[in-house]
Amino acid sequence: MLSFSSRSHAFDLSFYLGHERSLTQIKFNADGDLLFSCSKDQVINVWFSHNGERLGTYEGHNGTVWTVDVDRAPKQSKFFVSGAADNTLKLWQVSNGKCLYTWEFPTAVKRVAFNEEGNQVVCITEQRMGYQCAIRVFDINTQDGSKQSKEPKFMFNPIGSKATVCAFTLQPNIIITGHESGKVALFNAKTGEEIDNNERAHGDVVTDLQLSKDRTYCITSSKDKAARIHDTKSLIVVKTFNTETPLNSAALSPNRPYVLLGGGQEAMSVTTTSLRQGKFETRFWHKVFEEEVGRVKGHFGPINTIAVHPHGTSYASGGEDGFVRVHHFEDSYFRAKPYGDLEIID
Amino acid sequence: EDAAEESNVSAELIALRKRLVDEWNAWRSLRKKEIGEDKHEETQQVENKEEIE
Repeated sequence: MLSFSSRSHAFDLSFYLGHERSLTQIKFNADGDLLFSCSKDQVINVWFSHNGERLGTYEGHNGTVWTVDVDRAPKQSKFFVSGAADNTLKLWQVSNGKCLYTWEFPTAVKRVAFNEEGNQVVCITEQRMGYQCAIRVFDINTQDGSKQSKEPKFMFNPIGSKATVCAFTLQPNIIITGHESGKVALFNAKTGEEIDNNERAHGDVVTDLQLSKDRTYCITSSKDKAARIHDTKSLIVVKTFNTETPLNSAALSPNRPYVLLGGGQEAMSVTTTSLRQGKFETRFWHKVFEEEVGRVKGHFGPINTIAVHPHGTSYASGGEDGFVRVHHFEDSYFRAKPYGDLEIID
Repeated sequence: EDAAEESNVSAELIALRKRLVDEWNAWRSLRKKEIGEDKHEETQQVENKEEIE
């Protein structure tokens, strides 16, 4: 097995007076200079990804911040959105950290995602207290961020198992979702119709869904210990990565043929023989050969979220332990051609 | 290192990997072509197409 050498800029968010509790999601902006993190400690932090210095801490949520996304506009990243257990979705300005708008719902917001253009947001609200799981799409007024329409453009309740993750596909108004049952589906946001599904995409809850740069495929992770690459149009499973631990996150590595997987079980729920830090490594798998190629240590508890720099030069992982770790790859990582000269299209 | 790695893999495995890469690249090329065409149909504007690596 090959091992990656990587220069690790491990920064402890507690040390930087940042997060005090487990991380829930992390995201790079389009240029990759900023890293957004959210946590059960109710705040959102934004960091300079090259040195771990904190740009800001954004307060305003009164509950676990479950999810964050930043618009994909290069050289801009004007806005980011967050969803929390306080039943709100918030729109923030990146430049000054001001909360521009708050939408309120009957239940917690579990997942948010911008569209490619940065002018729409999709969010999932939890099924709870007599309320069904709901998916809403909002138009974002990008000219004046503080003036948003209160009502969603589209709203629907996905039939069957509740949705846990979602994203916009390339096709207008088509949302790809992952579900508690392990299902992966395509919904028409306008009509709420389930256009297509793969009921057996996973055998357990889908924990993460990240798109390729061109949105033509995505990777999902699941508690069933597998990650899978799906075609976002046909939902055909293209690749499967079977690990031995429940997975919380899966990320695609731009410009390199690898996927990054993270997860792990809490020490309490596993046998003593499994009580080793090794359980909490980021695993690198070859995207095409479905073979594990390396691991990077870094956390003292399960890895909850992984994000790869948009240029593929570094990655970040956020753990149950409250740490965010950023690893910058060394040149050898980019030179290495462990399988020879086969050219692999990104 | 690469040479050592390569000598350890059998001809069979090399053939398998070649096939897997060919399949992957065929699928990627097809999808890239599709979205190129879709974009062309949907928008009349001239777009800056991404460089194909």
